[in-house]
Amino acid sequence: MKVWESLALQATTQTGGHGAAEGASGGAPELPNFITLLYHKFGDTAWAAFLHHWENIIFSVIIALSLSLLFYLGSRKREPVPSGLQNFLELVVDSLRNFLVGVLGHGGEKYVPFLGTLFIYILFMNLFGLIPAMKSPSSSINITAALAMCVFVTVQYLNIRNMGLFGFIYHMAGSPKTVIGWAVAPLMLPVELITQFARPLTLALRLFGNIMGEDILIAAFAVLGITILSAVKSPVGIPLQVPFMFLAMLTSLLQALVFTLLSAVYILLAVPHAEEKH
Amino acid sequence: MDIGTALAFSAPIAVGIAALGSGIGLGRAVGGAMEAIGRQPEASGKIQTNMIIGAALIEALTIYALVVFFIVQGRIQ
Repeated sequence: MKVWESLALQATTQTGGHGAAEGASGGAPELPNFITLLYHKFGDTAWAAFLHHWENIIFSVIIALSLSLLFYLGSRKREPVPSGLQNFLELVVDSLRNFLVGVLGHGGEKYVPFLGTLFIYILFMNLFGLIPAMKSPSSSINITAALAMCVFVTVQYLNIRNMGLFGFIYHMAGSPKTVIGWAVAPLMLPVELITQFARPLTLALRLFGNIMGEDILIAAFAVLGITILSAVKSPVGIPLQVPFMFLAMLTSLLQALVFTLLSAVYILLAVPHAEEKH
Repeated sequence: MDIGTALAFSAPIAVGIAALGSGIGLGRAVGGAMEAIGRQPEASGKIQTNMIIGAALIEALTIYALVVFFIVQGRIQ
């Protein structure tokens, strides 16, 4: 009972002190994870402060390491007729590959590792917040911005490699050929430049906003469930957040899919043979 | 009315208006996609993919409003 009450109290009061340091997470409720629990217990020690400061990085590294371990274990003994874990991983990789090749066309085979890794990593980061005492690292804008920067750099590299620097600028000016084309080129260029820079911004903000929104929703209903029963001194709260956790599973999958799909489309627009179609 | 009170009134309304617009847009987009799938069920995979891309781009507008809300949230007393 003490534990639950302190959890509820912590969830409601936690964000005051360090909220400013994390940027946008003003006064919203947040479920405690094991790092914040450690921080509240050993808040005055240096290592707890260190853990708390690098919270999102630590969670994303945990996810990356466990995914690496999972895929290493699955592909360690490669058998011609797979079974068990290897079978499952092959199913995942194969369906991802089919899906991405369907979007990118047959020239897109070489971008499948990047985009597939992005999908699996983001999916696990989104779902990680549903495990008790864990947190979704993608509910921090820094993590999603880093992912979006990876996509942005890849796309701009492909653009410049395929069209050349001046060819790319010419393309951004709307590929002017006639007098009218050259006349509107000074208008087209800034618009296209803004589009290019808005892409990573929207990628990062969309993932961040959705995942943080769902985490806040779950935390708010968990706090509500605890505070309803706190008047009668019940040891546990009503699990009001459970339906929203199923909703969160759906949005996690959808947002990972959307991020990957939009990255694939941006890459598709940067490879030359796609230009002829559009 | 000081700035904090004004923001406390206007920020949720702004998010609501953005959500209203996105909702109308999403409804039209998804409705169109469903109609297309109904007419041509064999193309449902492609239609679905493009629908999700469009839905994500529409949804981004609401997310902007939400982000603005979180930016001004610190100034609401």
